[in-house]
Amino acid sequence: MRKLILALATLVLAAPVWAQRINLDFPGLEEKARETVDVTIDGDLLKIAAKFLDGRNPDESAARDIVSKLEGIYVRSYTFSKEGEYDRSIVTRVREQLGPNWKKIVRVTSRTRENVEIYVDARGDGKTVRGLVIIASEPRELTLVNLVGPVDIDKLASLEGQFGIPRMSVKERQ
Amino acid sequence: MDIESDLKRALRRERPPAGFADRVLARLDEPRSAPRPRWRAVAAGILLTAVVGGWAARQEIHRREGEKAREEVLLALHIAGAKMRAAQEHVREIGSH
Repeated sequence: MRKLILALATLVLAAPVWAQRINLDFPGLEEKARETVDVTIDGDLLKIAAKFLDGRNPDESAARDIVSKLEGIYVRSYTFSKEGEYDRSIVTRVREQLGPNWKKIVRVTSRTRENVEIYVDARGDGKTVRGLVIIASEPRELTLVNLVGPVDIDKLASLEGQFGIPRMSVKERQ
Repeated sequence: MDIESDLKRALRRERPPAGFADRVLARLDEPRSAPRPRWRAVAAGILLTAVVGGWAARQEIHRREGEKAREEVLLALHIAGAKMRAAQEHVREIGSH
């Protein structure tokens, strides 16, 4: 009986985290894409990554502040050779996963530039952001971002520079 | 001095002292003595090298995993930040018109 109660309590406590985690994986996208960025970091790996960020570097220090509060980082970004190579309904399928706690804070639609939608999970007092979803779509590019956990949006937007991102992090198709 | 007779005397057959064969057989039955300390030191050295080497290899794997995770975090935050700034700039442009 105690085990059952413990399991139920764990489920109840973990439920908000599941609610913030959005499925960003859609079959066939990676195969069609010319370039793919696939980042999934959560749990202990996120803590390890935070330890390896250089506190003396201003960008990395800011990144460490953000990461130290997060529970998961999920990014999928696909670049295609031709327009219309990905199914536009994916954007709707991501949007449909967002429950009532998710609030749209920005939606930019453009004929010439990318469309960007930003949603935040503002449960609880409504002031603390508990999760973030970014959907950025262009004819040849689709980027989906899901940050799980408390997010400082201003700090995230203020991150500058390339961070010395290695090229090898991007999978490129010939 | 006759060398030949001296050699014969020196090399003449002698009977072993009484009980010699029994003493030799008794020594053969004795349990073998413990390995020499030199071998123990070699074994300890090999063990220490293996332990230290294993620890160092683990540390290296841990360091590589950490570096890879760091790079991925920076890439993810760079992408997220860039998309947010793009939206902000667009909103700002619309507001300034």
